[in-house]
Amino acid sequence: MLFGGVFSLMAVGLTLIFGVMRVVNFAHGDMMVWGMYLAWLMATRGGVDPYLGFVVCAAALFVLGFVVQRVLVQRIVDAPHEMQILLMLGVALVLENLALLLFGPEPQRVRSALAQSTVWLGPVFVDVARLIAFAVAVLLTLLLSLFLYRTDVGRSIRAAADNPYGALVIGTDVRRVYAVAFGVGAACVGAAGALVAPLLPFQPPMGLQLSVASFNIVIIGGMGSLLGAFVGGLIVAVAESLGAVFLKPSLKELVSFSLLVLILLFRPAGIFGRRAS
Amino acid sequence: MRRVAIAAAVALLAMLPLVPSVFGSYAVTLFTLIFFYGFLGQAWNIVGGYAGQLSAGHAAFLGIGAYTAALLSVERGVTPWLGMCRIIVSNTEALGGAVGYYITFTGDPRQFQFQDARAYYYVALVMMLAVTGIVAWLERRRFGVYLSAIREDESACEALGVNTFRYKMLAMMLSSFLTGIGGAFYAFYLFSLQPASVFGIPLSVEIIIRAIVGGAGTVLGPILGSFILSPLAELARYYFAQGGWHGAHLVVYGLLLIAVVLFLPEGAYPRLARLFRR
Amino acid sequence: MTSSPLTRRTFLKATLAGGAIAGAPRPLRAQPKPFRIAAVHPVTGPLAEPGQACRLGAQLAVEAVNAGGGIKSKGGMPLELLLGDTQSKPENGRIEAERLVNQGAQMLLGSFDSGSTAAMVSVAQQKRVPFLIDIAAADPITANVARSVKEGQQKVQYVYRNFPTGSTFGRKAVQYFTEIFAEAKVTPKRVALMHCNDLFGVNQSRGFLAAYKAAKPPWTLLEDDVIPWPEPPSDLSTEVARLKALKPDVISPITRPASALLLLPEIRKQRIESLGIVGPGSPGLYEAGQIAALKEDLEYVMASNPWPNFRSPKTQRLAEDYQKRSGGRLFDTNSGYSYDAVFVIADVLERAAKLDDPDAIVEAIQKTSYTAGLMQYGGPVHFNEIGDNPNAIPTMIQILKAKPVAVWPKDAALQKFVFPRPKA
Repeated sequence: MLFGGVFSLMAVGLTLIFGVMRVVNFAHGDMMVWGMYLAWLMATRGGVDPYLGFVVCAAALFVLGFVVQRVLVQRIVDAPHEMQILLMLGVALVLENLALLLFGPEPQRVRSALAQSTVWLGPVFVDVARLIAFAVAVLLTLLLSLFLYRTDVGRSIRAAADNPYGALVIGTDVRRVYAVAFGVGAACVGAAGALVAPLLPFQPPMGLQLSVASFNIVIIGGMGSLLGAFVGGLIVAVAESLGAVFLKPSLKELVSFSLLVLILLFRPAGIFGRRAS
Repeated sequence: MRRVAIAAAVALLAMLPLVPSVFGSYAVTLFTLIFFYGFLGQAWNIVGGYAGQLSAGHAAFLGIGAYTAALLSVERGVTPWLGMCRIIVSNTEALGGAVGYYITFTGDPRQFQFQDARAYYYVALVMMLAVTGIVAWLERRRFGVYLSAIREDESACEALGVNTFRYKMLAMMLSSFLTGIGGAFYAFYLFSLQPASVFGIPLSVEIIIRAIVGGAGTVLGPILGSFILSPLAELARYYFAQGGWHGAHLVVYGLLLIAVVLFLPEGAYPRLARLFRR
Repeated sequence: MTSSPLTRRTFLKATLAGGAIAGAPRPLRAQPKPFRIAAVHPVTGPLAEPGQACRLGAQLAVEAVNAGGGIKSKGGMPLELLLGDTQSKPENGRIEAERLVNQGAQMLLGSFDSGSTAAMVSVAQQKRVPFLIDIAAADPITANVARSVKEGQQKVQYVYRNFPTGSTFGRKAVQYFTEIFAEAKVTPKRVALMHCNDLFGVNQSRGFLAAYKAAKPPWTLLEDDVIPWPEPPSDLSTEVARLKALKPDVISPITRPASALLLLPEIRKQRIESLGIVGPGSPGLYEAGQIAALKEDLEYVMASNPWPNFRSPKTQRLAEDYQKRSGGRLFDTNSGYSYDAVFVIADVLERAAKLDDPDAIVEAIQKTSYTAGLMQYGGPVHFNEIGDNPNAIPTMIQILKAKPVAVWPKDAALQKFVFPRPKA
């Protein structure tokens, strides 16, 4: 359940990128893995706790996202949609194997003093690390929506998402806005990566699995809807742990995918999605 | 100019059957896999390219086909030749708890096993050409036109009275049927089946990227894509897989993929076609 | 590039006009010509960690053979490894094997996961290239080839394996459990089996369950309450809660390295009391990195794994060398079996009548009786009618004072095991 906050944060990043640019970021999970490795580097080399270090991870991933959009995605904006998938798959391949080259194949885990402690609330025990990850993830999501709805840059991002030509007409630098949006999306997933780094062992090939998990959540919540991604993350986390209690634990991944199929059957646009007309 | 292009294509095609007698068996294996992925990409193309319905689950059809053929052959002694025809009959038993199948290597042609690897080459070549023929034929029929119309504007299509659901369904069925046949080939070419590899997303990705690189929704796109990407992967491996830099060749391959997209943003086939039309 | 085979070169030229990237020039080699071995392992993708260990093990062995004067009966012929990467995908097992054979490899070595190994078998049988499997546990890989030779569909078996098979793993684990429980004078009534739900975990747990049913030991396995988890897991708290509800005497997990990092701390956090944690096969519990990360959670944990024979000074020397070369990693199952495989090949080449005939090499393989292996064997390395080495067996190891130590069978043990584990 407490994983839900982090699930939400990574899905929010994905949905922001998709909602604004209609780009399906297949490198999303690999960006998250890089967030994890950056947190690991800071913790092992500099002794920075990942619960502080996530700010740096988010900043670094912002730059990465900004550059990917500016240098790569922007060039093929007019190409068929599926080309972007290919491009992002290429980026994912590079990110994954660079991580393998630089950090090696062993599973890593960031040690944080907090990750070891648990609090017992009566009969239920709660992991302090998960609690913090959840709280920070929710906080970041709230900050993001404040940014999108209360600042000028945020407003222009939403304007460009709604109607790029309209935004262009009123003098918005759409290319810049796109790059910022991609950067913010990547920053979300980078922060999410740093926050789970003490909880979840990670290896370079994990990216694909994380990407798929994010897609799943975003589709359940509704493509392009921030609230949908947020709620979707919580729902998937709850459904998976309930599934593990009542079904064979190994089937718990099936639960979220069944949920996906059900949602697609009854609400094709997702829980909070608007139906494209 | 266009005639020259067609003549060149036909000449190239005519040379393909000669490859095994000229080159070594490594080239034969490489070409076999190029044909195989070309075949799968083409099958995906019907749904993903023409109808514009992005299917990322094609590995599942491949997996079902592979498992059915393997199971029928291993457990019941049914030849995969037959299995390839009746693959669409989904065999639930085949999926129940099957964890990795290993097929006995016998080299018996009646069991779709060949002592000589060149036989697989010709089977894969024929499969690729046949499915390309089917797609080329469909493209000119009403079915193909409807599919492209659905891709371009589904609601307009529906407004004109086309039963879009029916055509999408038909395209999906045809595509998954063909992919299932591919699965039977896969099982008996590699002699083992692991659920993670034949049902997995990485394999779906392998199928899709070839079609996209070549140009989704064009007759020759998937094949062209397969001919571009497989050699690129091999080249990256040949020059960068030695030595202590594990993963360097995949970084290079990823960069090549990005470069291909940036240079051929509309896909290789449309670009070529434009070149020749001039 | 001068030493590249011609076919390969012409082919590349023909298909790729733009393929003129300059390759690194290779130095001219001294006579006699080296014997080339294709070493195919998954050095990228999800299995990169064990795959890289295999590759390094094989590389060190080749260096050792060459430093010792190569194959003496063949005029000091050196060995050369041609390296292949399956990227953890079966289809690459086949194409990499083909590529390296085309580059001149006369034997195949590989490939850690059973899927790509099976794909390499077809290359070995079709092209008549002797294939020594260093690691891959699935029984059918060799058994299938042996069967088709027996039934006359294939003339010669080119595939041999020096590694415990899946059924050996299960049988030996049940045997060790029984012996250790008897020695500790306990008869656990609630042994709880948990496993990762990937190919490896499912096969291991099936082998264990089958061997348990066949052996009917005095202790009791909770056969109907096996707890699997998806691999790699993101969270194991619910699985461990289930485990707690079973009130286990002994916890018996089959883990991958990544899942062990989640499982063991979770067992401690949920405060499950038991006699101890004894696994029927868990790779990666003993890596230095794992021990550093898991610390006290790993103490007293036992697992049945193929294990190097550290009583031998030769093994100890090599383990030190390996640690230096690998950046601090332990010489273990994967590096060890790949290392031994190269030495078995060297032994075969030493004895083979001639090297340009694959059948002569096979003949030498069948007559193998090699005793200088670094792993813990039950006897000399030899190959039975199926092509497997029946003396390739696992060892029970235990983490004691943050070090993995062989504790069972008795003649392999460096220390006595600590079980039941002392209460903290």
